[in-house]
Amino acid sequence: MHHANYHYGHAHLLARYCNLPEPLHPPRLQGYLQHGWNMGDGLAPGTPYVDGSRIFVWSEETRRRSWSQGRREVIVVGAPFAYLLELEPEPAGAPQPEGTIFYPFHGWEGQQISGDHQRLIDEVKATETGPVTACLYWNEYRMRGVRKIYERAGFRVICHGYRGFWWRDHNRTFLVNQLAELRKHRRVISNRLCSAVWYGALAGREVAVYGDPMVLDNADPTFGGEPRLRRQWPEVYGYQTDFDACHQLARQQLGADELARPDELRAYLGWPAATEFATATERDK
Amino acid sequence: MSERAAALLPTQGTDYAAALAAPPLTNLRRIGGEMFAWTDRDPGRGPELPRGAVVRHLLAQFAGPDRAVLVAGPHADEVVTALADSGATVSWLLRSLGDAEDAARLHPDVTILAGAAGKLDPAARYDLVVAMDGVERLNSGEGEQLSGAELLDRLAAAVQPDGVLLLVHDNRFGLHHTVRLAPGARERQDAAWYAIDENDADRPASQEQLVGRLAEAGLEVNAAYAAFPQPATPTVLVGEGLLGNVSSPLRPRLGTALSQAYAAGFRGQPVLSDPRRLINRALLAGAEGTVAAAWLVIARAPGSDAAPAITGHELLIGDARGTFAYQVSSAGNEVRTTVLQPLEGPIERCGLRRISEPSAPGADVGYVLEERLLHLAGTDDLRNLRAELAQYDTWLRAQARDGVLTGPAALAGLADVFVSQTGLALLPTRWEPIEPVPLELAQIRAIWHFAVQVITSAQPHPWPVTSSAVDLTAVLLGMVGHSVGKDQLRAAAELHVALEAADQELSLAEQHDLRLRLLAVTPGTAPVDIAGYREVTEALWRQRYEASHLLAMMEWTEQMIQSRDLALSKVDWEVQFYRKTWAGRFLWVARSAYRVLARDGRKFLHGRRQRKAAAINPNDLR
Repeated sequence: MHHANYHYGHAHLLARYCNLPEPLHPPRLQGYLQHGWNMGDGLAPGTPYVDGSRIFVWSEETRRRSWSQGRREVIVVGAPFAYLLELEPEPAGAPQPEGTIFYPFHGWEGQQISGDHQRLIDEVKATETGPVTACLYWNEYRMRGVRKIYERAGFRVICHGYRGFWWRDHNRTFLVNQLAELRKHRRVISNRLCSAVWYGALAGREVAVYGDPMVLDNADPTFGGEPRLRRQWPEVYGYQTDFDACHQLARQQLGADELARPDELRAYLGWPAATEFATATERDK
Repeated sequence: MSERAAALLPTQGTDYAAALAAPPLTNLRRIGGEMFAWTDRDPGRGPELPRGAVVRHLLAQFAGPDRAVLVAGPHADEVVTALADSGATVSWLLRSLGDAEDAARLHPDVTILAGAAGKLDPAARYDLVVAMDGVERLNSGEGEQLSGAELLDRLAAAVQPDGVLLLVHDNRFGLHHTVRLAPGARERQDAAWYAIDENDADRPASQEQLVGRLAEAGLEVNAAYAAFPQPATPTVLVGEGLLGNVSSPLRPRLGTALSQAYAAGFRGQPVLSDPRRLINRALLAGAEGTVAAAWLVIARAPGSDAAPAITGHELLIGDARGTFAYQVSSAGNEVRTTVLQPLEGPIERCGLRRISEPSAPGADVGYVLEERLLHLAGTDDLRNLRAELAQYDTWLRAQARDGVLTGPAALAGLADVFVSQTGLALLPTRWEPIEPVPLELAQIRAIWHFAVQVITSAQPHPWPVTSSAVDLTAVLLGMVGHSVGKDQLRAAAELHVALEAADQELSLAEQHDLRLRLLAVTPGTAPVDIAGYREVTEALWRQRYEASHLLAMMEWTEQMIQSRDLALSKVDWEVQFYRKTWAGRFLWVARSAYRVLARDGRKFLHGRRQRKAAAINPNDLR
């Protein structure tokens, strides 16, 4: 339906959750899947939308907002990351997490960010006590200058990979790798509230948002911009935050309590029912 | 544009210059939960904003200097302006940030609280809390969602001791919900991210439950009204003493007021069934409170005993817009009409003038003429029908001077005439003509409009079901010895269109449309004011009924023609047979010869007579 459904391996992960026979090659998803946490209607700005199509959003709050913006056929399914946690609960004997993973706010193909990376690094170094891993977005990771700044600060610099574009170059294990990295660390921080912070909170990590939020080129003020983030979710801001409050908020924002059962999710996404696969398999024998 | 290009399309950025140039809004406070990219002021996206003269009148009793007022939720600007103009300190809670910014600019003396009701300062207390919009729009789309019962508690908690809550609570069993015919209505409303929950057991579902719920929240309901015809624009409030009391002397006035209110409130709206007939049935059963559009309660927080008592009204009637409101009350055997809020200024439209002092007869026992006529028509009582119409005819002629009528009587319909033991009298009406109206014209309009109502709303009557409005007008006027022509009917329709245009502020195109529809009222016509599905199907039935008779007539005519064709064919055959035989030919020649001889003989005799006469009087030929 839309190429963003395959970003971060979302469709592949849901196919795995739904027990589809070939999760690496999921069937077309009959609708638009929200591909990142946002405070708008669930769709990325500028997404060409076909009226009457389904929109699969992460939370009930996003569904309300989406309806208010004239969207219909909006279904709350929860975030793919929340499904991943269902599939891969933290093992009992997992090594003790340590240090901090830091997600500097990123732009994307259509909008770049501008801000002082060094000042941000200084603040992180002054606040965090353990080793720091800086996880850059793929386009910033490619910029040698930006990467060097973080490396010089003594940070371990990583990138979860390319999210894919136009049905090509998908990183099918993007979220799996991200979860593994999150679980290695005790804290998840960023300079702007974003999906990764909620993921960290849902995965049971301390989270904190602080530092210069930087400026996004041609930022869309329709939904209130960065100042609104700070006003509406103050619980995640500051050097130290309340773990339970943040975890609870993450459950709401990622729809962790709204997850569909596999058969239900197949029906929502327009994927064949399990019995149809069983029949096809029998026939092929 | 390809999707790939569109996917990379940057959105329009912030206009920082415009943002910096805008003056700061010092009277705007963001309390949390405010909605972005949203408005409650667009009727295309959500319900109408609450307004109405009767509620404004009630509010005026509790507002004033040194009073702290909280207006909860979206309201029409005129409501907030009136409260602020009373000298009260007004705070206005709005969930939309955009609406809040507009309101802050428009009402610089009002403190605008942008956000959700759940974020209100729990310590803040007010002398008056106004929730004409109910609690449905107090939750924001963002954050925590309070239930309806919790929102009522939240409003009750904001009332300080001796303070007052004025709340309008939508009745889910109200006629406006029952008759609604709006497929896909929820899908069209951006505000309906939650559909109306008909299974919420905690939401008060009756006036008694609402009073009880507020009592649990610590408030005492001092006055309660049933509000009609729509929750957002109540124009009739029925209070204690009249509500449910079928023996009240105000009952006939209430019937007329509600019929007019429902006609105005549902004009042009498709509905399942004409709400006027349903509310009339409810009135007869004393059940109007059960099917009211909403309940309006005035509840007080306990405080000192010195707080002035809240006086209720039996019947309050007012405009949907503006300030004009009056009350009708009973005292002993008298019925009084008192103007509470006058018109803001004289109103003249389409050659008519708005009546600023509604009059009402003082007698308390009687009936509304239209209701009586409908009853008599429904029971085929032609004798009494003639008697009632004769009485009306006599009364109307007595109102005329030199064959013309002035004042409210010139535009009064049969529903505006009250019949008591002392005679006929006018009920309160809204318009009067600036120029006098000929008596016949006024009478034809009243009778014709009654006929239109009878036909289009499928009321039972003793005449053929295929009668048109024109047929019925002729019959009814004929009962009192008058006749009516096409030109007079057209003039009556023009006068009626002027009345509707003045009352509804119709455009020229709408007037033209209404005129055409009124002039074309036949048995198959649906109501021209409220498009009731039941009435439409009734009209369709009548069309089919009439069509079935036409088909039967066609079939019979066809049989007759066939029969005549057969007879003609036989005669033709005989004629041809006789022409072909010698006897026939002889007869034909003889008949032709006779015709020639007879014709030429007459000519010859006529010529001879003339010649003889000329010979006697030679001058006559010259």
